[in-house]
Amino acid sequence: MADLFAKYFPNVVYQGWTGDGGWLPAIGETLYMTFWSAIFGGVLGLIFGIGLVLTDEDGIAPNHTLFSIFDKVVSLFRAIPFIILLAFIAPFTKLLVGTQIGTTAALVPLSLGVFPFYARQVQVALKSVDHGIIEAAQSVGATFFDLVFDVYLRESRSELIRVTTVTLISLIGLTAMAGAIGAGGLGNMAIAYGYNRFANDTTFMATLLVLVLVMIVQLVGDVLAKAFNHKTAG
Amino acid sequence: MAEEIIKLDDVSVTFQQKDKQVAAVKQVTLHVEQGDIYGIVGYSGAGKSTLVRVINLLQIPTAGRVEVNGKLLYQADGQQKKLIAAKSLRSERRKIGMIFQHFNLLNEQTIIDNVAFALKHSGLKEKQIEEKSHKLLKLVGLDSRATSYPSQLSGGQQQRVAIARALANDPEILISDEGTSALDPKNTIQILDLLKDLNQKLGLTVVLITHEMDAVKRIANKVAVMDGGRIIERGNLLDIFTHAKQQLTREFIGGGSLKAISILKKYQLGKLSADERIIQLTYVGNSVSEPILVKLYRDFNVEANIIYSNIEVLRGTPVGTLFVIIKGTSAGRIQALDYLQKQEVIITEIAEDELQEGETDNG
Ligand SMILES: Nc1ncnc2c1ncn2[C@@H]1O[C@H](COP(=O)(O)OP(=O)(O)OP(=O)(O)O)[C@@H](O)[C@H]1O
Ligand SMILES: [Mg+2]
Repeated sequence: MADLFAKYFPNVVYQGWTGDGGWLPAIGETLYMTFWSAIFGGVLGLIFGIGLVLTDEDGIAPNHTLFSIFDKVVSLFRAIPFIILLAFIAPFTKLLVGTQIGTTAALVPLSLGVFPFYARQVQVALKSVDHGIIEAAQSVGATFFDLVFDVYLRESRSELIRVTTVTLISLIGLTAMAGAIGAGGLGNMAIAYGYNRFANDTTFMATLLVLVLVMIVQLVGDVLAKAFNHKTAG
Repeated sequence: MAEEIIKLDDVSVTFQQKDKQVAAVKQVTLHVEQGDIYGIVGYSGAGKSTLVRVINLLQIPTAGRVEVNGKLLYQADGQQKKLIAAKSLRSERRKIGMIFQHFNLLNEQTIIDNVAFALKHSGLKEKQIEEKSHKLLKLVGLDSRATSYPSQLSGGQQQRVAIARALANDPEILISDEGTSALDPKNTIQILDLLKDLNQKLGLTVVLITHEMDAVKRIANKVAVMDGGRIIERGNLLDIFTHAKQQLTREFIGGGSLKAISILKKYQLGKLSADERIIQLTYVGNSVSEPILVKLYRDFNVEANIIYSNIEVLRGTPVGTLFVIIKGTSAGRIQALDYLQKQEVIITEIAEDELQEGETDNG
């Protein structure tokens, strides 16, 4: 079995498990980048998404100026293609983490790249909360924080899980792209060790691993979204 | 006279939309007394919801004065507007329960948590909140479903949970904005009877917005009819029922008069000879029947021809309406009406022109 594998996937075996260019570090880097940029980009996206909904005309704290600021910032960052963002913010990245190359440096563009996408998704999720429910909560004297946490966030949590899943998956895609310009991870494996060296089996394996990762995220997301949804009977 | 618990004076609400202004409520004055069940009816877009949402300032008016439970919530003097502070508003709102057409429960929280949510700032300890929530659920007959989620309940049950939530802070007032409109007839009756029960047992003042006149007839003691942002007619249920002045009110109230008049028009029954009059007789409780009409003939030589009759139940009391053509000498007719009045029959003479105007409308 192992022999057969080595016969058809010689380059995959050549890369080895550990060490420079090994599969485990590559997987680890992808997970590392996904995790931390999900945290930073996620918090940023959540803040902007919530801000957009609360300050909107029909929100609970309508404020035209603030809304415009949130809206413009999100739109601006969404408009920049990720691959250009990578280059564009390099000086800022250097300022922030001391270097502009490598896995940790990639977190800056990744977070900034994913946050506007997530902000819009969060906005849509929160908007799905029926305005009547918000009014009913207000009619029993709910405070601003009650409304944000117990109504907006809690009522839309299944929807939030769903959009988080979508965002995570697109983030995995972004880490692959960041990998292509030297941030490591499975993307780097596929391009630098696979494509560039005509090692198609390595590219194939890297792709397969990314797919597995995506499927796990999707599966967990679906299960959680279902578990946290009580809107419909059953 | 009971205390006025809701006082809306000259309240206007204007919505600013991009290119135009929508005047949803126009200088409405509405006073509701403690213990009233005040029905507000009107067609869609009349401004009913907007008006009642002013009571707990879910809708901030553009002008007027709002006083509820003896507290001034809003007052506009010219350009100067005074609004109760946000924190006080929250505690005032807790004394004004509200239920909605679509129940608006928190879908992601259990029934008991929905009720407990309203008690979050009541100052009660967690344990007491739990006890009180159970007590409220018992009141609406749903304690056994405490850990269910709203989606697992029927519409009627969900509305009962909403009522429990609305009553959590022992409010003096309960506003129902189309609270029964999404329910089937059986559940509608259950909810209405529950409201009436609460009104009688707890002295709860109820403001009942609906387009189902039957709901008003069943439990309200007062009614206001809204059209185009104004209250065009208001009063005691029976008065409105028997003496509606506005065409729209008659359309809503029914009471037979509208139907009767249209029948009269259609068959040209309105063409009366000099010794004939059409009158509407309304009687509450005891029935007017043949004997009285026979008596009219025997004692006053007045013939009474029934052209339309109808019976309805207002707040559990049957109220009958008869449209009759009486024929006799003018002295006889006066005596006859006198006699009827003594029998506590409410008499409304139908003017002949009322029966004719429709024909020009059609032509
Ligand atoms: N937030 C709003 N912005 C603009 N216009 C509004 C708003 N809310 C209500 N209106 C308008 O105000 C008018 C009165 O609406 P309202 O909801 O009070 O009517 P209603 O009598 O409750 O009708 P329904 O029986 O359909 O509930 C309508 O013309 C409506 O379009
Ligand atoms: Mg309405």
